Amino acid sequence: MTGPGLAALPEGGRVDFTRLRTDRRRRLLAAMAHAGLDVLALGRPANIAFATGARQLWTAGSRPFSPACLVVAADERIHLLATWDEGVPDDIPREQLFGLSWNPGIATAHVAAVPGLAGARRVGADGTSPSWRRLLAEVAPDAEVVDAGPLLAGLRAVKSADEVAAIETACALAEGALEAMAGALAPGVTTRQLLAVHAERLGRLGAPIVPNESVAQATTHGHRSVVDDVPLQHGDLVALSPSASYAGHEGTLARTVPVGGALTPAQADLGAACRSALDAAVGACRAGATGAALLEAWESAGGGPMPGPLVVGVGLGAEQPIVGMGVGADAELRPGMALAVQGWVERDGVGGWLERDVVVVTDGVPRTLTRWPSGDLTPASGLGSGHGASS
Amino acid sequence: MGVTFAGATTSASVGGTPIPDEPDLARLRVERSARLRDAMRGAGVDVLVVLGTSGVHYATGARMPSVDPARATLLRPVAVVLADDPLPHLFTPYPDGACGRLADDHVHPPLFVDLEDIPADAVRTLTELVAPGASVAADETTPALVAALGHRPIGNGAAVLGAARIAKTPDELACLRRAQWINEQAMAHVQPLARPGTRQTELTGALLRRAFELGATGVGIDSIWQVVPESKAAGPWTFHGDVAYPTPTTDRLLRHGDVLWVDSGILYEGYPSDFGRTWIVGADPTPRQQAQFERWWAVMQATLDAVAPGATGGDLCRAARAADPISASEGRRPWLDHFYLVHGLGVDSAEMPLLGTDLGEAFDDSVVLEPGMVLVLEPVIWDDGAGGHRAEDIVVVTDDGWAPLSDHPYAPFRTPDGGA
Repeated sequence: MTGPGLAALPEGGRVDFTRLRTDRRRRLLAAMAHAGLDVLALGRPANIAFATGARQLWTAGSRPFSPACLVVAADERIHLLATWDEGVPDDIPREQLFGLSWNPGIATAHVAAVPGLAGARRVGADGTSPSWRRLLAEVAPDAEVVDAGPLLAGLRAVKSADEVAAIETACALAEGALEAMAGALAPGVTTRQLLAVHAERLGRLGAPIVPNESVAQATTHGHRSVVDDVPLQHGDLVALSPSASYAGHEGTLARTVPVGGALTPAQADLGAACRSALDAAVGACRAGATGAALLEAWESAGGGPMPGPLVVGVGLGAEQPIVGMGVGADAELRPGMALAVQGWVERDGVGGWLERDVVVVTDGVPRTLTRWPSGDLTPASGLGSGHGASS
Repeated sequence: MGVTFAGATTSASVGGTPIPDEPDLARLRVERSARLRDAMRGAGVDVLVVLGTSGVHYATGARMPSVDPARATLLRPVAVVLADDPLPHLFTPYPDGACGRLADDHVHPPLFVDLEDIPADAVRTLTELVAPGASVAADETTPALVAALGHRPIGNGAAVLGAARIAKTPDELACLRRAQWINEQAMAHVQPLARPGTRQTELTGALLRRAFELGATGVGIDSIWQVVPESKAAGPWTFHGDVAYPTPTTDRLLRHGDVLWVDSGILYEGYPSDFGRTWIVGADPTPRQQAQFERWWAVMQATLDAVAPGATGGDLCRAARAADPISASEGRRPWLDHFYLVHGLGVDSAEMPLLGTDLGEAFDDSVVLEPGMVLVLEPVIWDDGAGGHRAEDIVVVTDDGWAPLSDHPYAPFRTPDGGA
């Protein structure tokens, strides 16, 4: 990694995507062998991106499962629903592509024709649907079907150096969007207008703009998941939490800033409280630590109840582990996991403070991919004074 | 607006009710809830569990950030609708998005049905809602959900949602029209920016900036600014031999003379727009390109002429094919082979009715148009060696004909009536 950037470099660029895909495929096939899977059927877009490296059209919202990618253990071939080859890496030849169909009969025929599916004894899938169950009963009547969701989640959680480099580039893009929003912050501006600025900056940077609406919120009256049209007031606290994508990989961070001036002492105290509790949680992100230990670190450093999870995995979008909101206490951190760790502290009469960093778990101190000082950040003061700036 | 909409009926009413200028969101939620519970009763479903983002929006009206599929799946809100309760239950990581109509006892912490185990507290809340002998349906299932529901039989909830959603209420139509208006206004701002040296992603950024400023509440799909090849052979290899479309946006630099197939969808209160036009970068249409547009126009006009309550999907497809003898002589239909001539538009941006797909002509003939159905018509003229023309317009089937929901010029092309 020679530093984040989007331009091609004559010596081969910053992320070796061929190496990235080869490494993933090797791990995927090894995990299939370990689980005794003859065929793996994938329908979740991020799992398909993991298995194939294919560039997909972004849409918002969840999608129902349909088998759009099949990995066959015997011949190590990957078959992909792709009506054309643009965006498909050339390590998946055309003979292994099948076309989009609205007709369940035709769609299942495409899948049924994949060599190796008939006669499979053990098939993993990351979802299910009535037509998929019917297809398997017909084509592979002896197959045992197992939930492959946990297998994919476990594989995706640990990142290669190339994947980390892609995430770090996405974090740098997100910081560009943060800078744009901070620059637009003024009394009278709305969070929806900040969302507008966020999109515009990412587009100018040449990055695809992934739907993500939760990029700005006024925290004066509590946590808000969606932007609104309320004009910001002088002195309001605003949480800026941009998100960006580089080659399908997500980067994000969050910082809280005052509108139109400096932090009040009460706001600065709030920020310091959030930052120190978040630093404790980040410091606990070491190999072998459990989700429970991270929650304990957050709480014992003064962090209170959160409106969202403390930890969400970062990679091809949001990933496991999720820690907080009643889940993830047993999740165990492994070296190479990339995590968005976020803190929220709220005080009556002051508002809420949101802060988020992306870190990579190592055997020792985690490596922080995001860079931006915490605290009093205004366009006039540049990068501001900071309270415990991220390392 | 040009000739395209000259056939529109003046009384744009659906079920005797005119389409309001402003959607009444409270009335919208009440009417959707009534339709959904009617559909549940019709299918003998006591409890409907909804996992899909758009279905949850339909069932609850809850605001939620529009986010990419990975986050939308892992951190998904889930709706549980009881046939005898006008208020749905919502299990959500975004409780601030639950609309005021939902009482606190109907808003619950998230279920995390995509993880291996749903939190025990959430399972308890869910099972309290589902009576032991109740008939349950779901639009999707996950292993954890099936286990949480005690491995009971789970019926086809997608069909229940589909039956409720096929015809739109007047307030839904007002939301769709507003979404389209925002998209069209933003495109009027963007089109002059599509110059040589501009990146595709810059156009997306400019479009979204303007759309959000105009009140868009989200983005449904990455905007498409596909540079169309002159011939199929010059474009990507395709499975079926037809032209590839749509291909994802990148930081590609636009060049003089590039023909762009533009397609975008923003959201207003959960309802998507669908904007489709053909642009040319830095140049006026050649006579051959203008002729492509005129063929497209004829197909659009003929298809619209066939739209009326009681007409079938097959009627529309036959009208479109008859209007372009050149496509017929080349053995092709005047739309993309892997898509459709017509798709519906509701809380999903491509929903039933889908007409002209590989479901076949018998299916098209089985679809009978009824008031409140929304049709996005997207003919495509392919002229191998000189690219082609693609554009979309949206209409709603009314009580006595159809009414437009889109209203955007076709510049740089000249309409046959002298407009643009």
